[in-house]
Amino acid sequence: MKLTVNGTLREVDAARSPTLLAALRDQLDLTGSKLVCDRGECGACTVRLDGDLVYACLTLTAACENAQVQTVEGLASGNELHPLQQAFISHDAAQCGFCTPGQLVTAAALLERLPNPSDGDIRAAMSGNLCRCGTYPKIIAAIRAVADERGAAT
Amino acid sequence: MTGHRARFVQTTVEVEGRTETRVVEMPAFEPAPWTADTPLSIVGTSPPRVDAFEKVTGRARYTADIVRPGMLHAVIVRSPVAKGTLTAIDLDAARTLPGVRAVMGPGEAPAGTRLFRRDVGYAGQPLAAVAADSLDDARRAAHVVARSLVFDLAPHAVTLGDAMATDAPNVRSDGNVVEPDVVERGDVARGLADADVTITREYRTQVALHSALEPHGAVCEWTGDHLTVWESTQGIFRVRADVAKALGMPQGRVRVLKDYMGGGFGAKNGAGAHTYTAALFARTLGLPVRCINDREAEQMDSGNRPASVQRVTIAARRDGTLTALVLDAHVPLGISGWEGGPGQIYHELYACPNVRTSETWVYINAGGMQAFRGPGYVEGAFGLESAMNALARELRMDPVALRRKNLATRDQRVDRPFSGNRLDECYVEGMKRFGWDTTSHQPPTTNSHVRRGRGVAAQTWPTGGGPPSYALVRINSDASVDVLAGTQDLGTGARTVLAQIAAEALGAKFDTVRAIIGDTERLPYTGNSWGSMTTPSVGPAVRMAAEDARLQLLEAAAQIMELPIEDLTTAGSEVLALSCSRVLPFSELCKKLGSLQIVGRGSRGPNPPNVAIVTVGAQFAEVEVDVETGVVRVLRIVAVHDAGRIINPVLAESQLHGGIIQGLGYALFEERHIDRERGVPLNTNLHDYRIPTMADIPAIDASFLFGSDTVANHTGARGIAEPPIIPTAPAIAAAVADALGVEVREIPLTPWRVLGALVE
Repeated sequence: MKLTVNGTLREVDAARSPTLLAALRDQLDLTGSKLVCDRGECGACTVRLDGDLVYACLTLTAACENAQVQTVEGLASGNELHPLQQAFISHDAAQCGFCTPGQLVTAAALLERLPNPSDGDIRAAMSGNLCRCGTYPKIIAAIRAVADERGAAT
Repeated sequence: MTGHRARFVQTTVEVEGRTETRVVEMPAFEPAPWTADTPLSIVGTSPPRVDAFEKVTGRARYTADIVRPGMLHAVIVRSPVAKGTLTAIDLDAARTLPGVRAVMGPGEAPAGTRLFRRDVGYAGQPLAAVAADSLDDARRAAHVVARSLVFDLAPHAVTLGDAMATDAPNVRSDGNVVEPDVVERGDVARGLADADVTITREYRTQVALHSALEPHGAVCEWTGDHLTVWESTQGIFRVRADVAKALGMPQGRVRVLKDYMGGGFGAKNGAGAHTYTAALFARTLGLPVRCINDREAEQMDSGNRPASVQRVTIAARRDGTLTALVLDAHVPLGISGWEGGPGQIYHELYACPNVRTSETWVYINAGGMQAFRGPGYVEGAFGLESAMNALARELRMDPVALRRKNLATRDQRVDRPFSGNRLDECYVEGMKRFGWDTTSHQPPTTNSHVRRGRGVAAQTWPTGGGPPSYALVRINSDASVDVLAGTQDLGTGARTVLAQIAAEALGAKFDTVRAIIGDTERLPYTGNSWGSMTTPSVGPAVRMAAEDARLQLLEAAAQIMELPIEDLTTAGSEVLALSCSRVLPFSELCKKLGSLQIVGRGSRGPNPPNVAIVTVGAQFAEVEVDVETGVVRVLRIVAVHDAGRIINPVLAESQLHGGIIQGLGYALFEERHIDRERGVPLNTNLHDYRIPTMADIPAIDASFLFGSDTVANHTGARGIAEPPIIPTAPAIAAAVADALGVEVREIPLTPWRVLGALVE
């Protein structure tokens, strides 16, 4: 079956990889999205499916035919990082980095929905993405910085 | 000046609080220490993590992301019961399933791996394993094997009380209760007699699970009789030694690789069932095999912070001077574990002439313990610091004043000085930042059933590091610099910190230096990344290697520039003449040297004799407690720690945040629950074993006392990874007690326990 991943039309075998996460990781070699809890508790596999945030570990590959999927690998445009990626680097918002792809995808969706979120909005939107290293204060700071910069620019 | 040969001497060294005689290497030269006044341009600044780009783009490859041609997937079948004998298991049915390549069961793994035994001691114990073409095929086959298991059940004990009862079942064949470890100094009876005030309390802490987001895992591949292991580990050389020993092969035929790692927190210090399973299947089948714990296995059988019961007696004079400290602790270890208990901090944090600790370790039928960030000290600090706060209330003294009155000025266990210990300054700075003298604990006016409280606790942790650690610094023909050290970056920032140290010592631009780590075959030995030791152990070896390379560079430059070497120095990747304005960039110098490669060698010398090296700190917490619901909200934490020199303040601050947030989870909700009747853990996932989310975190003001510990080692840096988790839970508990007006003696402070404390 076909689906569009990060802007490119791809073909995957849904029978071989029942979940979208497995299809992305095992068939398309997009290993940024991680398998951590395997039951929609941690957010490390978060991707966009037709714009919506989904847990790829709970999303059936067969339900993604002709869908648009965006993963962390699709955030940058070529070598130009997404502003959130740049802000995560400059604010040290990744320690071990294992949860980082999911955090970034969730944060990017948040800023599309709410360009100028309050700290409460950020906490609410991001609280489904677990980080065991405790990088949360710096993730908040990174998201805040991008929102503020965009606010200042407009 | 170069080409030095090291000497080997026998000396006494401190390992995990014990003294051992060891042969250590005396480097032929040690650079002069970087003092607090040494002008440094890269160390002490905060360049971004050198591997941040890979992490934010999803390109960083962790162990579970490693794919090898033809790779198979292995799944381990684990015991669903806590105690008994496996009497029947059907492996043949699984062998016929689609995709299945091999199945291993009891009696089929080498004894050294301790895999797949029929005598079961805990739920989660490996009993068999399946290798298949895909993970799904392997999982299906593992389910089939699991359904075939038949046990002759035996009585189990999963609680301290059950394991210590007079008619307790045998948890292990060698007995349930280990002879107490009693450590005493002074005369406790006299100290108690001399006291004006004596209080006795019992504190309880829970089992906590590391819950690293990346589970334990390995990918193994054989080439002839050589084995390559990709492993998510804190100790690549330890994994190599473990695998070589278990499989009966020379260490030189095992290569362990670790590039990126999704957290360890103490649980990933050697090879495990997953490693041996992958290695054995890969050997039998002649194909690479990946074996990664699923989350349930990770939460059941990858280690834990054991629970503790601490009966504490603390005695003081009316003015607050401590006269005696007594601890009687019981720790249910699980089926196995090492005995790093809560007692040590009782001997170390306060000046007190009379201290006795008794630690009793008890085996229970549950997964074994593994070191977990600040092992022993985290549990001990909850008891000791809660008792200190109770004593302060009893004496009607300010809890900070009580602590400052009893500052440890020497290491009293063996009566020796500290290399540096600025805990008193941590209190003073922390009080200032927190507004301790002006923060009242009056209930806020908005909501009458919400009460506010504040609390304090302190921390000490041995962070000297030590030998052996080796490093090489290689200057390439284009003047780029490679730092080679067989260490590992758990997410702490070791890659960045070691590159900073090398760049500083060499006088090179930071962005020309990269650290290459995580390969036992091609990199010099360093020890495990545990005990907050990587920076103080490997850092000095890297500095020495860079200084060695710099001297060689200067010797070559002296020839080319026709100037005496004494006239030359380095900065910004240039050789500078002091007497005139001549400058020779490293790049030109290296071009002139052609393919000659400068290689500097460094090693970690021994620690100074008869000195205690510790990181200390104080944390202050403010909380709101809803007395109708029992819900605790932590409003803010102020943390001030003294870890000597801070190599990269932003990365070190991240470590403080991480420790504090893990400490918050430990204080408020993290707890492994185990069914006493069935002996099975109940919350083996990340929903029911709750770790902090972004919604839980308070405002955190985390800072350091900047300086340099020139006695500890020549970089001046001590460790910082573990210390910040140690005081967080008792500080939060003290704030909750302050808000409620009643003591709290057990964590985690779930709503039920908070409401329970109110009705007691």
